[in-house]
Amino acid sequence: MSKSDRAERLLNVLFALMASARPMPKSALREVIDAYRESPSEEAFERMFERDKDELRGMGIPIETIEGTDGSGGIEGYRILRDAYALPDVHFTGDELAVLGLAAKVWEQASLGACAQRALRKLESLGDGAVVDGPVGVEARIATSEASFPGLLEAVRNRRAVTFEYRKPQLVAGEVRHVQPWGVVSRRGHWYVVGHDVDRDEARVFRLSRIIGTATAYGPAQSYEIPTGLDVASMVAASAVDEQATARIQINPGSALSLSRRAVSIVDEVAEISFGDEDAFAAELVGYADAVVVLAPDSLRSNVVERLRSLAGTAARS
Amino acid sequence: MSTRVNETAGARLSRLLAMVPWLAANDGVTVEEAARHFGISEKQLQADLWLLICTGRPGHLHGDLVDIQFWDEGGSIHVLDAQTLDRPLRLSPDEASALVVALRYLEQVPGLDQRDVLTSAIAKLETAAGEALAAADGVTVSMEAAVSDEVGSVVATALSANRRVHLTYVSASDQRSERDVDPMRLLSIDGHSYLEGWCLSAGAVRTFRLDRIERIELLDSSTSIPDDVSGVDLTSGLRPDGPLVRLELQPEAAWIADEYPTESVEDLDDGRVVVSLRVSDDMWLVRLLLRMGSSVRVVDNPAVTQQVTHAAERALARYSQ
Repeated sequence: MSKSDRAERLLNVLFALMASARPMPKSALREVIDAYRESPSEEAFERMFERDKDELRGMGIPIETIEGTDGSGGIEGYRILRDAYALPDVHFTGDELAVLGLAAKVWEQASLGACAQRALRKLESLGDGAVVDGPVGVEARIATSEASFPGLLEAVRNRRAVTFEYRKPQLVAGEVRHVQPWGVVSRRGHWYVVGHDVDRDEARVFRLSRIIGTATAYGPAQSYEIPTGLDVASMVAASAVDEQATARIQINPGSALSLSRRAVSIVDEVAEISFGDEDAFAAELVGYADAVVVLAPDSLRSNVVERLRSLAGTAARS
Repeated sequence: MSTRVNETAGARLSRLLAMVPWLAANDGVTVEEAARHFGISEKQLQADLWLLICTGRPGHLHGDLVDIQFWDEGGSIHVLDAQTLDRPLRLSPDEASALVVALRYLEQVPGLDQRDVLTSAIAKLETAAGEALAAADGVTVSMEAAVSDEVGSVVATALSANRRVHLTYVSASDQRSERDVDPMRLLSIDGHSYLEGWCLSAGAVRTFRLDRIERIELLDSSTSIPDDVSGVDLTSGLRPDGPLVRLELQPEAAWIADEYPTESVEDLDDGRVVVSLRVSDDMWLVRLLLRMGSSVRVVDNPAVTQQVTHAAERALARYSQ
């Protein structure tokens, strides 16, 4: 059977279920749809109909199953209500369709991009004016190249637990984690998944680039609740930035500009800057070479000096 | 464009269901325009239309079938009877959330004009999508907030009015420069926004990250961009120009492969990674190497290694004074 025939058959099933005022029994469908009528056996017809019904429902077409009124639990028939099928009566201006068009191009990842395009196609019929050009010269892109991204997104939607191998920053080997994902967040160009870590019994944030391979869903869907009022974006921000200490750093005028901009105050070339992870901050400061000198705290100062010694020494040997 | 031989029946049906209401709303559109709109060949579009007019309510008598006229001289299409397909199918949760998350992201892009249009589009989409939108709460894309409102609004004005701007800019390698720029596009990529423009000082197209613009001033002159100039190709994100550098990363520095656009990544058995990336500015590379210490080694550039050592020695001298 060619694909063209199947599309045509699906369309005719759709029309039949929408046209009928009463739920349409399977037997009636078999009479009116050519391919069903011509199927060699009752079994072959049943299989074909089940596949078609799944395909249509998979596209979001609301096929209702109506039970008989005789109390036997048997199925009387199927129907599609037009109001349940169709988009509500909303109209978009040309300007609004233009920003929808811009939004539909944001996703680089193929499956999300295709979803956004399909949504746009549907909404474009609801325009009530000429389509205009989008906002002047704007291009926006979000890349989601991580292999685990699609699986995690689906797990959040189905509220289904996942397991994946996770590599911590300083470790070579990954470890297996079990997580009930609550949401997927992009921050500063990196993707994170926030959720309940089942093994640790705590809320945790994981960076997708550190997940090795894909995330595998396990167990039943709808198996947990996502806490209400959850702000996943701030959870990620909080996990990334934990500023609790303050450093005093002398900065040469006109240098270390990106650092100066983060300063709480700068008096006589001495900046006060808050930081979280001492190692990470020390590494950043070493990057500015002789443009900065750490005055306090002592531990940060010696951390920086150690790093500089090793850099100067390594090369002296080679 | 070629006919889609590998298309599934579902994908085709999905297009057919969108096509009927769109054609009805755009009465008289030509076969060529419609094919372009749906991204298919004219031949495929005609095949779609032939299929549509063979379908309809059971009975398939006159009046039961979809009726579309598409054979007149100019090739224009008229939907005479859409049957029950006059309105588009509801958005699925996947479709609604893909679009809404992208719109919410655009809302945060600094320097984007037409914010009121975005807000009303989102509100209408929320009405149209209804329950399908619950899925959108699972995905959040947040922008870096470090762009001042002033930079954002001057960029928006300059772009819509085609005006030249003067920038004080701090580059990734910490160099401050003053430039006159004729804005071309606002680019927002993975949470960072960039002004793309014709830089008069460089005589070339440059991109400037908005959060690194220290000051921006709207000038009186209009933009004057050479005709043969085009914007950067975004198909694989923003990539710097410059020579390729090969870096050997210890496992603890392997994140560099995620953080910067690489041309190649090679995993070694012991957890080390060798990457090649384009470096437009040696200063940037020296700073990266200073930061990373012994966890990163330049494979093929002894001169840069020398610069790193000297920079470390100079810095160390300041601590022993």
